[in-house]
Amino acid sequence: MTPVVIAAWPAFSAAVVAAATSLGYQVAASGAADLAKSTAAAQTGSKRIQLEIENSEVVTGQLGREQKISVTKDGVTITFSRDARGQASLCVTGEGHSNEELRALGEELSQAVVQQYVYQKLMGEMQARGFNVVEEETSADRSIRLKVRHWEN
Amino acid sequence: MPQREFDITIGKDGSVELHVKGYKGKGCLEAMKMFQQIVGELKEEQRTNEYYEPEEQVRFNIDQRH
Repeated sequence: MTPVVIAAWPAFSAAVVAAATSLGYQVAASGAADLAKSTAAAQTGSKRIQLEIENSEVVTGQLGREQKISVTKDGVTITFSRDARGQASLCVTGEGHSNEELRALGEELSQAVVQQYVYQKLMGEMQARGFNVVEEETSADRSIRLKVRHWEN
Repeated sequence: MPQREFDITIGKDGSVELHVKGYKGKGCLEAMKMFQQIVGELKEEQRTNEYYEPEEQVRFNIDQRH
């Protein structure tokens, strides 16, 4: 099963922040000026890996405007962005890591972003429908388990 | 007023597994459609033994679409 993400930028960036925080990253920059500074710093003498989030589409009402968000941890910077067609991608840069390590870090965070997007969408929709989440836990394998109840007329 | 219960597992890759409890007959299929609207495309369905009992339990795997 391959999850598909179709999200507006605010929902997508919220999922990025939630996923990054859960994995110990800090938001480095989200504005254009801050991002340029952060990206330049991260690229100095660093290796660089580019990944795509498969089956994703970040929709926006501001076509042509570049939107990015950057997070860091232990000298590794991961920048999420959308291209002109709306495909979400991430760029992983960092010193002292192999390409394989950078790719693994990028894929780990990429999966966590998709998971957080699904979680936030489910929670919002279920609350809107009057469902009650009575149990919630995150397993050792990082899957999220929810028990939800609903009384029907 | 019947109580419906849903066990939902969101895998670390965002895939969703849904376990529906508390429905009789084809009522669980309506619940499945509702979750399809929220989450996405149904990829796999497993009917447990309880499905054939008066109080049914059905397991669905749903793919994120929206």
